Order: sequence, then C-alpha cells, then structure tokens
Amino acid sequence: MKKGYIEINQELCKGCQICMTFCPKGSISPSDKLNSSGYLPVRFNDDGECTGCATCAVVCPDVVIEVYRD
Amino acid sequence: MTKVLMYGNEAIGEAAIRAGCQCYFGYPITPQNELTEYMAANLSRKKGCTFIQAESEIAAINMVYGASLAGVRTMTSSSSPGISLKQEGISYLAACELPAVIVNMSRGGPGLGSIAAAQSDYFQATRGGGHGDYRTIVLGPSSVQELADLTHRAFDLSDQYRIPVMILGDGMLGQMKEPVEFKHEAPAELPLRAHALRGAKGRPSKYVKSLTSNPIELEELNWSLYRRYQLIKKKEVAYEAFQCEDAELIIVAFGIAARIAKGAIKNARAEGMKVGMLRPITLWPFPSEKIQELAKNTKHFLVFEMNMGQMLEDVQLALAGNGEISFYGRPGGVIPTPSEVFRVASRLYCQKGLK
Repeated sequence: MKKGYIEINQELCKGCQICMTFCPKGSISPSDKLNSSGYLPVRFNDDGECTGCATCAVVCPDVVIEVYRD
Repeated sequence: MTKVLMYGNEAIGEAAIRAGCQCYFGYPITPQNELTEYMAANLSRKKGCTFIQAESEIAAINMVYGASLAGVRTMTSSSSPGISLKQEGISYLAACELPAVIVNMSRGGPGLGSIAAAQSDYFQATRGGGHGDYRTIVLGPSSVQELADLTHRAFDLSDQYRIPVMILGDGMLGQMKEPVEFKHEAPAELPLRAHALRGAKGRPSKYVKSLTSNPIELEELNWSLYRRYQLIKKKEVAYEAFQCEDAELIIVAFGIAARIAKGAIKNARAEGMKVGMLRPITLWPFPSEKIQELAKNTKHFLVFEMNMGQMLEDVQLALAGNGEISFYGRPGGVIPTPSEVFRVASRLYCQKGLK
C-alpha cells in the first residue's frame, strides 16, 4: 500500500472541512486550537492510513494542503 | 559597457538619458522617487537638457505636452495615483499625435492605496486611461535589465508612431537592485519631427490644438489614429514564451509576477509537471495570436497577477473559448512567493487530471 502524509497550513486554513468530508481514510479531523484569524482549522492524524491520494489538496479552496508520498 | 548594480528606478533614468531624453518633468511619489532624484542629478550632464520638478503631476504632464510639441524627446514618471492625475494630459498627447514616454511604477490601489508593489493599473494602462478613443503602447518589463532596454525602446516606438508610450513597472522593480548593462547610446541625430513647433522663421505660423470642433474632421483623425493602432498591433507585439513547447499547463503572467511564476515553474518541472509560461512584454498590443497558437497544443491556462484579474480578460478574449482558464491573484500589494504559486499550479494540475 502506498504511504503518504500531508501538511496543513494551520494559519491559512479556515476550517471549511471539505477535505475532511472527502478524505477516503478519515485521516483529517478538526483541530482543538483556534488559529490567529479565529478559525478552527483541521489537522492531520498520522495513523498510517494516508495513501497520499491528494484528494484533500485538490478540493481545498485555499490551497493550504501539501501532500508528500514516501 | 560593463555591468553596473543599479536600482530599477535609476536604470530607467540612465537609459532615458542615453536614449536622448532632453526634458524630464517629475513630481515625487513613492515608489518612483529615485527616478526623479536620478534625473535631477544626472540629466544636466548633457547639453541643453532640462529637469523640472513640477508643482503637481498635472503640471508635469502638461510640460511634457509642451516639450513634445517643441520636438524633443521627453519623459515623465509617477506611480498609480499620480498617473491617474496625468490621464488628461496623456489623452491630449494622443489627440495631437505627440510622442512621449510615461513611466508608471505602480503601487497598490484604489485611492492612495499602499506603497507596495501591485499590478492593479493594468486596465488603466492598456485601455487608454483617459477619455476618448485612443491607445498607448504599454510595455511590461520584468527585470532591471529589461527596464533599461524597454525605456530605450519606448522612446524609439513613441517617435516612430507618434504615440505616447507607457512603461508599466511596479514598486518592487523600481526598488530592487540588479546588475544592468546599457547597450545603447543615443543616435547622434534624433529623427527630425516635421510637425514640431520650432519657430516660424521662413514659413507661415502654425499651431497645434487638440480641439477639433467639426465632427467630420474629428472622425477622420480618429480613423487615422485607428489605422496606426492596427499597424502597431500587427508589427510591435512582443512576448516571452518560457518552456511552452511541451507544456500541459501554461501560466500567463507579466512583469514581476512572471519572475515569481518562473520560480514556480522550476519547482513544477522538478516534480515532473509540464508547466510553461507566456509573458506578454507588450501589454498593448496584447499577444493574442500567440495565445491562440499555444491553445492548439495546450488546453489549460493559469493567469497569475498581482491584482484581482485584469489581464485575465485579455486572455479570455484571446482564447475565445478555446481553452480552460483559471486565475490566481494577490491584490493590494502583497508579494506572493514562488512556492505559493507552485502550490496553486500543482493543485490545478491534479484537478484537471493532468497527472
């Protein structure tokens, strides 16, 4: 199975959670910390499930997700 | 001539002096002050040259009007709000078919805006800006070297077609230092302008005015200007195509934004994405035909500008539906980074199923 991980820019994310809805592995969840703009961003749970499919990055309207593949 | 390290603003000044600019009229505004300063210090090294710091932008452009009528190469410069003030004079220059070079080191708008670099004056520059049915040639340099080269070119174009030429730079270009080489010296004799007013010795007196109260005569003037604009559109289009041959996605950007996009393209190529760039050097006339030609092999275009989407409309007009256009812009004087543009381009690349 292909492995990957993502990085979410916490400061630019406005917490629309579209990526959360689309992630086939459910590896994205809301963060528990507000960012400096007052939004509740999402965070990545590195549970080894991520395949680096990049669906999250493609749907993100603010281009805040970077995808890395091992 | 060896390379020297210079501010963009100073490079324009030096290039203008070398192109035979005899009269410069300026009024201070950030971020083009270095140009006025440079002209004040250096224009006097040539005989018969005049520098005046005018009492306002409107006065400066009207001094240009007068100097151009007298048949000398002349220039003025300002930044966005100042260029808005100069529009009346530019319209008059166009009406009287007078050559002049106007430099706009644009900054964030609207209103007084900010003093940071932006590209929000694209519409104003390429659509004429002032009232009436006229055009100005608009050049969009993207490096200090090109600022120098295009300043020289601007004087030649403006003399050749008797039309005001605008150089649309931005605060970032003006304020950054780069090595620059001045390749040109002024021709020993500048082309004599038959229409210039140099005194009526040995001929009946004549005058130049921009008022043509007879509509039939004015229509004729408009048509003659139009024919000249058609000629310019045909002959003077300039652009840079960067790695477009095999590109699946082409970024269209001008000026400093194109420099940023180039960094993004290098990143994208390293990741195996076929991304290229088209950079219009003449913003008017716009390289529409080149874009149509590129659209035969490339279906996806990303317009990247430091405004809310102005050149975007020219790209849409040029493509006429023959390609998909996306847009990314940062207005207000924010300078985007190459990695930011790369992220946008790579996301688009994935979205469109190119990878």
